[in-house]
Amino acid sequence: MPLPNPSKGWSSSTSRLLALYSFLFVAWSSILMGVLYFEVTSYLNKLTRHSMLQRQHLFAHMSGKQLDDALVASQAFEERSFDAYGLFDTQLNPIGGRIRAIPSELGLDGKVHELKRCLDADDPHLPRDSCDAVAIKVQDGRWLVLVRDNGSLFVVTRIILDALLWGISLTLIPGFAGWYLLRRRPLKRIRAIQAQAELIVAGDLTHRLPLSARRDELDMLAAIVNAMLDRIERLMHEVKGVCDNIAHDLRTPLTRLRAQLYRIRQQSGSDSAEGAALDQAIGETDTLMARFRGLLRISELEDRQRRAGFVRLDPQGLLAELHDFYLPLAEDGGIRLHLEQPAQLAALHGDRELLFEALANLVGNAIKFTPEGGQVRIVANEDEAGVHIAVEDSGPGIPADEREAVLKRFYRSEEGHRHAGFGLGLSIVAAIVDLHGFGLEVASSALGGARLVLHCPLAGPVK
Amino acid sequence: MPRVLTIEDDAVTAQEIVAELSSHGLEVDWADNGREGLAKAIAGGYDLITLDRMLPEVDGLTIVTTLRNLKIATPILMISALSDVDERVRGLRAGGDDYLTKPFASDEMAARVEVLLRRNSVPMTQTRLQVADLELDLISHEARRGEQALNLLPTEYKLLEYLMRHSGQVITRMMIFEEVWGYHFDPGTNLIDVHIGRLRKKIDSPGQNPLIRTVRGSGYAIAEPV
Repeated sequence: MPLPNPSKGWSSSTSRLLALYSFLFVAWSSILMGVLYFEVTSYLNKLTRHSMLQRQHLFAHMSGKQLDDALVASQAFEERSFDAYGLFDTQLNPIGGRIRAIPSELGLDGKVHELKRCLDADDPHLPRDSCDAVAIKVQDGRWLVLVRDNGSLFVVTRIILDALLWGISLTLIPGFAGWYLLRRRPLKRIRAIQAQAELIVAGDLTHRLPLSARRDELDMLAAIVNAMLDRIERLMHEVKGVCDNIAHDLRTPLTRLRAQLYRIRQQSGSDSAEGAALDQAIGETDTLMARFRGLLRISELEDRQRRAGFVRLDPQGLLAELHDFYLPLAEDGGIRLHLEQPAQLAALHGDRELLFEALANLVGNAIKFTPEGGQVRIVANEDEAGVHIAVEDSGPGIPADEREAVLKRFYRSEEGHRHAGFGLGLSIVAAIVDLHGFGLEVASSALGGARLVLHCPLAGPVK
Repeated sequence: MPRVLTIEDDAVTAQEIVAELSSHGLEVDWADNGREGLAKAIAGGYDLITLDRMLPEVDGLTIVTTLRNLKIATPILMISALSDVDERVRGLRAGGDDYLTKPFASDEMAARVEVLLRRNSVPMTQTRLQVADLELDLISHEARRGEQALNLLPTEYKLLEYLMRHSGQVITRMMIFEEVWGYHFDPGTNLIDVHIGRLRKKIDSPGQNPLIRTVRGSGYAIAEPV
């Protein structure tokens, strides 16, 4: 069973954490800058107004030549023309200063107005956009229009916006770098955990998830899983221990029972009625013993971790032997048994005796379930994935919904109840296949019956 | 009368072994633990030993190894609750001569004992086997019944040779499968019977005295007709 791969892109938890962190950082910077902007703007605004009021106050008490001189002098230090003025006569005709027309929005009330659009003039020295303006009536009856550009405010705004942009980009760059670096290490650890977990899922409960020295959340999780695995392993040992005890307890009485029945049989007359009954009882005991041996065999096979008996073996010889072994049985049952294999098959790495047992079970089952006149085929072929050995028959087949279950202990399909035999055969096959790391596929055959395929990866270099 | 030593810690199993072997005309001594068993086996001059693999005090495997180290060649039938192939190989490699898994049928056990007791009855140098008018040439691999040459397949030849080497003895199906095919699992169905049936058709043609006899419940024997 393959485990899900750790997600590669944005859905990994590190990525999401970093994204959230970056978002919060950007949001917070924006708020900070916004507040700063607001505070600075209102302060500067106040300052602007204040200077405007000062000028208004200064100029309001002058008149005639004195005013003109003062106005010209005030412009002498104006480099960036934040301030401008216009002097108008009582008829509101321009008589001095750069401002040649009174802005339409400006009321002639001596109060400071904030104008959205300032002046419509070609003079590049005049502010165009928003500005503060005031129109006052000086002592000699003329009108003086004072304007102060909000340009300094724009500069401040720009500085703050720039800072904000830099801040965001400088947050994102280390964010991305951090994302890349940070997710690499957990991913590596997850992969190590995955590798171990796959071994455990494959049935080897002696493995544990790796722990690092950091004792972080991942380690905590792995430690929890490991504790669970310890418990599961202990439980499985206990269950197995109970099974083995039962097996040991039953083995001896079964041997005794068989022996005593056999003894009584020897002493009774050969043709008596009791004799026949005893023969039947002995037959039943033999069945019981065979079934029992099968169970013990599966348990032994499942226990076996070592592959000491594994050799490189030639599947062709094995299959020929299998065919010869079953041919008389098939012929007696009126079944054609064919062996089809290419001239050359790659070597397998396995236990010859166990593989013969597994294949014998498949062929034996196929013959058992195939009615007279049918056929059973043993077909071997090879591709880059390995050697595939199929046993198929023209019997009733295995319904699709039972294919998983047939590999379990004691399972027998409805059809199977009509035949003598043990429901253990296929589970022995499954145990042997597991031991070898081979695959077993249950499918349906073109002949109409079941098709069981043994997938054997190639031997390769001997481990 | 051949003498057999049974080393077995379970009293009832031991009783059955003793009873079964006695009924075959053997004299049987019983030791219920490994230490006593080993002492008897060394001192006793027995013709055969049945040995439980797992014993209190001294383990079955240790007993075999010790005996073989002392150059005591008494045939040993190992009886074990462990049926794993590896376990069998270990037992035989240590010096056991045959290996039987519990639970076992007592006639199976007796048949194996008989075969072990008489395993040297056919000398290795012999080149021909004969039962009544059935002859087997071990060099040319030719079989004939009377004047009639028999055409045997390789497996059939091996099967016949095995039966004839132990003529007059009961050979069980399990023994045949182990000896002729070399496998140690339970092939289940009546496979061995079918193969014997084939062989029978070839050597016991109609009208001739049948040589292969079915021993009910146990197995087969080839013998001169009585």
